[in-house]
Parts: sequence; structure tokens; C-alpha cells
Amino acid sequence: MKYLLYCIFFFWGFSLFSQNKEVLYGLDETPQALLLNPGTRISNKYHFGIPLISHLHFNGGSSGISAYDIFQNTSVDINTRIRKKISELDGRDFFTASQQLEILNFGWKNKQEFYFSGGVYQEFDFIFYFPKDLAVLAWEGNANYIGKKFDLGEVNTRGDLLMVYHLGATKRWNKKLTIGARAKIYSSLLSFSSTDNSGTFETRISESGNNIYEHVVNANLSINTSGIASLSDLEDPSQATNKILNRAFLSGNLGLGIDLGATYEINEKLTASASFVDLGAIFHTKDIESYTVNGEYTLDGIELLFPPLVSTDTAPPYYDDLIDEIEDAFTVDTVYNSYSQMRPLKIYSSLKYNFGRPVGSDEGCDCLNTGENQKYNQSAGVQFFNMFRPKGPQFAATLFYYRKLSDYLTFKTTYTVDSYSYNNIGLGLVADIKMINFYIVANNLQWYSNFAKAKSVSLQMGLNIIIDENK
Amino acid sequence: MKNNLHLLFLIAVIIFFFSACVKDTDFDQTDDIVLETVLELDFIFFDINSQNFTDLGVNNTIISDTTNLDFLGSEAASENIIRVDFYFRNTNSFPVSLESQYQFLNDNNEIKYELTIPIQDGNVNNLVITEFTEIIENNDLIDFMMATKVVVNTIANTSLNNIDGNLDLQSKATYYLRLEQ
Repeated sequence: MKYLLYCIFFFWGFSLFSQNKEVLYGLDETPQALLLNPGTRISNKYHFGIPLISHLHFNGGSSGISAYDIFQNTSVDINTRIRKKISELDGRDFFTASQQLEILNFGWKNKQEFYFSGGVYQEFDFIFYFPKDLAVLAWEGNANYIGKKFDLGEVNTRGDLLMVYHLGATKRWNKKLTIGARAKIYSSLLSFSSTDNSGTFETRISESGNNIYEHVVNANLSINTSGIASLSDLEDPSQATNKILNRAFLSGNLGLGIDLGATYEINEKLTASASFVDLGAIFHTKDIESYTVNGEYTLDGIELLFPPLVSTDTAPPYYDDLIDEIEDAFTVDTVYNSYSQMRPLKIYSSLKYNFGRPVGSDEGCDCLNTGENQKYNQSAGVQFFNMFRPKGPQFAATLFYYRKLSDYLTFKTTYTVDSYSYNNIGLGLVADIKMINFYIVANNLQWYSNFAKAKSVSLQMGLNIIIDENK
Repeated sequence: MKNNLHLLFLIAVIIFFFSACVKDTDFDQTDDIVLETVLELDFIFFDINSQNFTDLGVNNTIISDTTNLDFLGSEAASENIIRVDFYFRNTNSFPVSLESQYQFLNDNNEIKYELTIPIQDGNVNNLVITEFTEIIENNDLIDFMMATKVVVNTIANTSLNNIDGNLDLQSKATYYLRLEQ
């Protein structure tokens, strides 16, 4: 248990709220902005990500609790703090972790002014909603909760490890509008989900009058897995690793998706943009095992029947009969049916106001262009993020300030508010030194003096080679 | 000069990003995490009349039954249960007092724990409830947790032939669990 807890809090230490990349979104100096909005206005001629280090992303966190909340070094007993936190959290609180590693990323502009970009990245995404009722039941028991229905439907978790192959095209349609789309092929390496559960456990004063209480359980639980069952037969961990890696080359469970995005320059000063990322599904058809439990049972103890003493029979097997009765009441099935799973759709939108010193246009750097071609060295605006999770959408709103300090250094700072955090400060820096493009982004900077107090933290960084049109 | 300042800014930010620290925390406190759970579960119940009793003699009538309680002898139970409270509620309409014995036996039928409950007499028009609570902890609990079954005897020191009445038992057990590393 100790090591499990260490792992959980390790993820807390290196993670951020959901998959919102609020700093990177709209940071057009990095090619990775195209993965958040394929309709990003981009002025490169070519770009190549340095393989394996063009985009590293760690992301995860907890909506309602920090490591400091539990492990702070005070005289208060840790169990008291855990009990307090259990009472504060609710069934919509969650733990999440995600990670991305870009294997390949490249892009080029053709003669028709289409900017094509493609690549491969590996992604891990995990969410676990806090099952408050089960936590209370485990931590305190049912003694003080007679008559309460503990909700088994709060069990809700999902995890995916996959490879994503993508190819997109971006086109500046006219002076105002840039649009883009990206096709994706998902190759799922491992996947599990348990998101459609229901049921209750209740201890109530007996209605039948047989005994003091009735313990009533009704459960309708299920978990789908793909790519996991076959691994359990392997004895050597290296065999499992090899098997997973083999699936990376489009031999896992496949899926299709699309990203759509657009940037609209309303006028010289105002720019709006929006994108849909991961609008798609994975079709799990191979190496599937799903488990279901359905049933209802009311337990009121063991009834003794007192057979006559003269009988030579042994006492009825009350206990064994009871266990059999309970097992019969619940149908436990292993099924191998194919299933499909929507990818968690992310929606970004933004509106920014450009101001400051003109820095040129895509026609060159003479600053004589006006209208939609004009670029300024500063902008400020708002962004919205919405991600569809098993229990509904997660929202975030961001205020940002962008400044191009020089030809080779740009920064963007953000202030993000979401349902769980009202003071998430982020900062991103992009350095373009000749053809080398380096970026680093992090958020929740206000907690950097003590990470333990952060409910979420993120870090994204990468290296690219960019060839601009004027080079 | 300006470019140097920008370079300095870039380096400073990168250093800042990688200088985050964790302090004022003690992760060794995981060793102190203890789950103290209290579970209430129904125990046994019955509803008997005089026909259930067997005469053992003119002044000695008895009923007896046995049920396994396999979970008590399990390693998980014996390691984590720190106290058990039993609550028995006998509702008697026999016009005689009774005595219930609960003998908790191990697999070799050796008595590991025993309790006796005197039950007040009642009548069919006036049901008398006798409540009884037994708390088992410390050394008694160690013996008790070796049991794997319980024998229930209810004895009347008189014949119950042709006597109207019922004895109704309801009972529950409260298990105090302490789970730690």
C-alpha cells in the first residue's frame, strides 16, 4: 500500500489538470501548436521535430487534493487529515494522469500554400473518479450509516495507452480565415474502462422483521479491457514489453479520429480561433476481456431451523448455503464482445487582441503591410477549454498575455480558472535560435516553491528545426 | 546587450522550471495510515415454538443447532478484527424462563468461547424482550477468533409440551477492524 501511495503522489508531483495545454495553444511559434489547432496560422516553410524530444508532456493531477493536504509535516495525525479530505471530496472529484511522447513530427508547405504536418506520438491517459461512498464505507464502515445507500455507481475509471499516427493540412483560405484538419489513426496498446456502473449497498432496519437489519446489495458493474488479457499469460516482463511495442506499429486495436480547427482574423487587432481535437473512436476487436457483475441480494443473517435432535443428520450447512445463495444471486460473466470507445474530445476556443509594436507580416518584415497580414509583438485575450470525460465535461477558462521579446524569444503567460483551481499561473517560452526551435511550458508556477501544495502541475518541452519562408 | 538580457531571461526561466521543490511534507507518514472501520452485520435469527424443543427429561427441554462461521477462522479476520460486540434480542412469549448458550468451537470441536444468556419468561399476551450485549476483545478475542462454528442451545428447565409460545431471536455483530501495514 505504501508504494501504491508513493506512485499516486508521484503522479501528483508531475502532473496538471486534465489535458488542457492552455499555454501551448495559440503559441504559433511552435509546430506543436498545430496539434492543438490544425487551423493555426503558421508561417514556416518546413519543420522537423527532433525525434523523441520534439514534445515531452507530463500531465495529471487531482481536482480536490494536494500531496501537502495529506502529508504536511504537522502534529495532526495523518488519519485525521485523510478523514477530513474524504468528507470534503465528492464523487465528481478525480485523479488524472496523462503523458505524451512525440516520436516523429514533420511539416512542409507545398506550392499551393497548403501546410502539411504529420507524425507519430505515444499517449497515456488515465482518469479515476473518487468513489466517495466506497471510501467512506472502507474508512468508517456502515455502523454510523444505517439507512444510507452507498452508491456503487461512483466507480468510474478509464485508462488508455496508445500510439497516434496523424497527418494534417492547414491552409490560409483567405486573408481572414485559416482552416485545418488532421486525420488520425489510433493504435491502442492497452485499454481499460469501467464507466457504466450502477448499484447500491444499504444497511437498513429490517422491513421483514426477520432480524435487526437487512443488508441490501444491488450491483450492475462492468469493466472492459483490451490488450491486457493476453499479457497475464506471459511470465517474463520483457515478453510483455515486446508484445506491447509490437502493437505500436498499427497492430493494436485501431481507431480513427479527426482534428478540426480554424483561425479567423476579424480585423487587424482581433483574432478568434477554435478547434476540436480527437473527434474519433477506437474499435476494440482484439484481445478483449470484459467482466460484468449483475444481481441483487438481501442478507439478513443466518436463520437457524433447529432440526429435531433425534435426527441422525448433521446440522444443515447454513453458512455454505448462504454463500451459495449470494453467489447465485450475482451473475459474474466474462465476455469477449467487441466494443468501441470514443476518444476524449477536447475543444479549444480563443479570442485575442493584438497590440504593441508591428513586427512584420508573412510577406516579409518590412512592417508596411496592414490589415490581417499585420502582426504585433503583443497580444492578450481569453481562451476556453472543454474536455469530455466519463462523468461529463470539464471546463477551463484562461486569460493570457503574449509577447514577442525579439526575433528569437517569445513568451506567453496564462491565468487559468477551472472548477477546482482558481489561480493556475502558467508560463511558456519559445526560443528560435537560427533554425533551432526550443520551447518549454509549465503551469501552476505559484506552487514551485513547494510542489507538494499544487493540486496539479505540468511540464511540456521540445526541440524542433524550423525553416522559415524567408530563409 | 538586449539579446544578452533575453538569453539571461530564458536561462533564468529554465532554471526556475527545474528548481521546483517539495518541502514541509513527510511521506514516511504512510506508515502511520490506519483504517479503523466499524462494520455492523446481522448475525443469526430464529423463531421457534414448543414443537421445536426436545424433551431430555421431565424437567429438561432443549433445542440445539449449529452453523459454520468460516470467516472467523480466516487469517484476514484474525489479523484485522480488534473487537467484536454481539447484541442479542430475545422476544419470549413462553410462560417460562429460558437459557441460551452460544458455544464457539474450532474445527476440533473444542470450545474457544462461550456465553450464556438468561431469557425472562413472558406470555402470549405480553411478549418480554431480553436484550444482551457481549463485548469480546483482548485475550478473549484471540481465543474467539480461532472458532469456526457456533452451537446454539436453548434450554428450558421444564417441559414445554402443549405450552403456547414462541421464542424469537434477532442478533447482530459489530466488528471493529483495524487495518494497518
